[in-house]
Amino acid sequence: MRTRAWAGCLGVLTLATAAGSAVAGQWRDGAELYQKVCGHCHEANVGPVLKGRGLPPEYIQRVVRMGNRAMPAFRPTEIDDATLADVARRISTGAVLARE
Amino acid sequence: MGSKSKALPKGISAAEFDKAVREMRAIVGDEHVLVDEEKLAPYRKIMMPVPDEQHELSASVMPDGVEQIQRIMKVANKYRVPVYPISTGKNLGYGSAAPVQRGQIVMDLRRMNRIIEVDPELCTALVEPGVTYQQLYDYLQEHKLPLWFSCPAPSAIAGPVGNMVDRGVGYTPYGEHFMFSCGMEVVLADGQVLRTGMGAMENSNTWQVFKWGYGPTLDGIFTQSNFGVVTKMGMWLMPAPPDFRPFCIQYPNETDITKIVEALRPLRIAMVIPNAVVIAHTLWEAPCTPVKRADYYTGPGAIPDDAVKKIQADHNIGAWNVYAGLYGTKETNDANWKIIEAVAAGTGGKIITQEASKGSKALEYRFDLMKGKPNLGEFGLYNWRGGGGSIWFAPVSQAKGSETLKQMQMAKTILGKYGFDYVGEFIVGWRDMHHVIDLLYDRSNPEQMEKAYACYDELLHTFAKEGYGMYRANTAFAEKVAATYGPVKRDVEKRLKKALDPNNIIAPGRCGISL
Ligand SMILES: Cc1cc2nc3c(=O)[nH]c(=O)nc-3n(C[C@H](O)[C@H](O)[C@H](O)COP(=O)(O)OP(=O)(O)OC[C@H]3O[C@@H](n4cnc5c(N)ncnc54)[C@H](O)[C@@H]3O)c2cc1C
Repeated sequence: MRTRAWAGCLGVLTLATAAGSAVAGQWRDGAELYQKVCGHCHEANVGPVLKGRGLPPEYIQRVVRMGNRAMPAFRPTEIDDATLADVARRISTGAVLARE
Repeated sequence: MGSKSKALPKGISAAEFDKAVREMRAIVGDEHVLVDEEKLAPYRKIMMPVPDEQHELSASVMPDGVEQIQRIMKVANKYRVPVYPISTGKNLGYGSAAPVQRGQIVMDLRRMNRIIEVDPELCTALVEPGVTYQQLYDYLQEHKLPLWFSCPAPSAIAGPVGNMVDRGVGYTPYGEHFMFSCGMEVVLADGQVLRTGMGAMENSNTWQVFKWGYGPTLDGIFTQSNFGVVTKMGMWLMPAPPDFRPFCIQYPNETDITKIVEALRPLRIAMVIPNAVVIAHTLWEAPCTPVKRADYYTGPGAIPDDAVKKIQADHNIGAWNVYAGLYGTKETNDANWKIIEAVAAGTGGKIITQEASKGSKALEYRFDLMKGKPNLGEFGLYNWRGGGGSIWFAPVSQAKGSETLKQMQMAKTILGKYGFDYVGEFIVGWRDMHHVIDLLYDRSNPEQMEKAYACYDELLHTFAKEGYGMYRANTAFAEKVAATYGPVKRDVEKRLKKALDPNNIIAPGRCGISL
């Protein structure tokens, strides 16, 4: 019965846990960041395709921090310098940017 | 050496400012206070048609914890430096992460991003300001919790606390976000920590389930205001329904808005349709489909109606596109679906189901938003004119057909006068509608900047004359919008400000409130 599915989510465990998975400043790596943030536009026909264009990593990092026209700017509290450097390197060199 | 800050707080010397910064650094750590112009770049980017300088910040302080915020408040009071709290800082088109006035220190709460508790039995969550909707979504997925939340369109990068504090809206049955929040923790200007509702009681376990507590209910005064820094918020989650049936109904004519609203209002009030129905105009759908404006019009001024008609025909887009969903069991949705079919048939609308929606990016992102799945599909809007300029003009309307038609025509006329397109939608509350218009312009073009400002100004004042007020406004127009609500309300707000924040430390000028 499908109605059971509705009831099914109730009455399980109560969990009280700190912290979600993707804590800002603690992105697993640039690939995760790309998938969770960049890809929503740049893999979705909203922003331009970035991969395979050999864009310099410095340029990518600068655009992320400054924004560009309608592209929002991202603060260090959202994307730390190390993850930003990693995503820029990956995009620039065509390294793996895994998507589920 | 003098301060490096480009925009010192009003009336503060460089030396005093430096002292304040030094004390803040001692609280949060050196690396969590930014003063260098270059480092502050991400806070400076705005989409509003005013010069960046008008919203230039003095510095950014990035605390990680309530106790740090309490101590920052003490420093702010001591030196009389104003702080402007942001949560995820993605109030795009309403001011972004920049302060409401030049010379404020942005207090960036994005590091505080703990999901403190999720109770799957009561379907509640307690979150910090830095939590994003994407993060909450991933958390629920990872823990296999069949719970949904409602989110705004920029959900992948924005978060529940900032959105709720600005009284934003989303697209599931829990779409009126403040209504579905339950309990706040607030650091006041004097450093005291207030928990609203049941949270005020020690040992209470009902903070996230009962909103009111005893005595006056205070949560509302911490939304669209500057009376405190919200550090935790409870929110209600909805059980994922066994059967979810999103749909779109398209209508061929602009004037159809009248019968659409008349037909849908009863279903919304009776909760046959439980979510916030969206009625989106062609020119909202087109850029998100995506369609290029330049393929249809390259002349001066607003896009003409015949070009809009052609877009509708070429891309199967309605003049109006109604988005809603059924949330229930298969049995209840089967029954209610018959009502939807009858309404569509009776009003000349064409239903597009999930199965039939394939291939349209616009339909896809909308259907995802109606189940609270984060995406950024709506940013397609910015490919319409290009240039990154955007301010939301968002008056409230009654959910009555004649009113919506009147507002739409008023807005379209004024926008057209300045050469801008009507890119609008109505988001149906229960009895009201948020009439949301994206005034899109090229921010790199000084003439368009000027026109966009003048256009918003005229929209605001013409609507106010007709008795239509904004549901929310960008920081550049905060003062003007506040003025449309009359002197008594403003006087009460000022008295509250004086009582709670006598040194005018928290976000002076936000929503027009200042001492
Ligand atoms: C394409 C597009 C579509 C959009 N669609 C929607 C939509 O569907 N619905 C909608 O509601 N909005 C929408 N927006 C507007 C906006 O982006 C969202 O509302 C977004 O959620 C707000 O940003 P935020 O959540 O990061 O809040 P923030 O920017 O963090 O906060 C908003 C404001 O609230 C105040 N504030 C924030 N946190 C605190 C705090 N802890 N204590 C005290 N005051 C605080 C500050 O003044 C701040 O500027 C859209 C924007 C774009 C560009």
